[in-house]
Amino acid sequence: MPESIPATLIIDTLKDTFREARAALAAEVAEPPQHSHLGWILSVPDTHQKTVLAALDKEQAIRVVTCATEDEATAIAAGLHIGGEPVVLMIQHAGLYASINTLRGVAMDGRIPVFYMIGLLSREKDKDPRESRHSMVRYCEPLLDTFGVPHARLEGPNDVHLIPEYYRLSRERRGPAVVLVGLETS
Amino acid sequence: MGREPKPPMKPEEVLRLIAAARGGAICVPTMTTAPAWRTIAPGDLSVTCVGFMGGASSLGLGLALARPDRQVLVLDGDGSLLMQLGSLATIAGAAPRNLVHFLFKNGVYHTSGSQGIPGGLTVDFVLMAKAAGYRLGCAIVDLEELRRRLPGLLAAEGPVFVELHTGLAEQTPMTARGGPSFLQQVEDLRAKLLSPRARGRS
Repeated sequence: MPESIPATLIIDTLKDTFREARAALAAEVAEPPQHSHLGWILSVPDTHQKTVLAALDKEQAIRVVTCATEDEATAIAAGLHIGGEPVVLMIQHAGLYASINTLRGVAMDGRIPVFYMIGLLSREKDKDPRESRHSMVRYCEPLLDTFGVPHARLEGPNDVHLIPEYYRLSRERRGPAVVLVGLETS
Repeated sequence: MGREPKPPMKPEEVLRLIAAARGGAICVPTMTTAPAWRTIAPGDLSVTCVGFMGGASSLGLGLALARPDRQVLVLDGDGSLLMQLGSLATIAGAAPRNLVHFLFKNGVYHTSGSQGIPGGLTVDFVLMAKAAGYRLGCAIVDLEELRRRLPGLLAAEGPVFVELHTGLAEQTPMTARGGPSFLQQVEDLRAKLLSPRARGRS
């Protein structure tokens, strides 16, 4: 059965992910950006990840930009990437559906690594998301499969290693990669 | 007898003025500003928003946040901005001091056949930008006024919004195809900003 993941664990994992990303960039380029923060979260508020978003409000090391739409978040991520900044998008499945053309244009055609954490709002704890009675939950993984976007599910605290792994995967493939947040974070 | 209204500015002339004044700014053209900008400012620090209409302002915001040491100029269209109008609030909320958002207002979707945008020329984008929280917003209707005010607008603390009353561009992305792909432009601009070691300085 899936378990809820504590916000603090996700935030610590994000910090490690950003540190690793900055170190990797510093090895690649002569002029990496110099900032006091570790990285960026672009969010369109997601009920499933609300405890993480609330905890991020108190974080100095991670900068958060709340966006009006997921289209904006994806395009802002492109600008941050061009400038050398590590970035993670936190959205919900409805936002993925709403912004799929921007994901295609920016992350696929533009080959910009964009890493998404997507909350599966209304996912039933005792069901595989593909068998959910809610279409928003049920169609999420098939949509990602249709677009060839690699994805994995965070089903509990032991799965947070997937965050840096899929972040790296987005860089290696130069495109989108997704982890799906299976239950509300705690 | 009232005076005749001034004819709208030619977008190409506006872009030439901006190109001459931009210094080391990163520029983000889109739609009908893109073909002319390719000619006027080839090989500079630019990336065209192409393939995700409406994204120029957000792409510019990301660049401005990543590179606070450089100014970012967005060369947006009215139809494009309407597709992501919420970006006005997102930009105002993020408050990048180094962002100047130019809006080329012609009242139509020129690229797709000049269909009128919702509301046409009556839409007041300056009012919207200021209400969203941009630090400064103004409309400019003639080239002489733009020439006079441009240095001050570029020096002002952002985000700054400038609505430019223009006519139709000579070319659109449909009549002047070609130029580097979005992918190529991204790679080129990233290399210029970050200096990859393989191509970096010795």
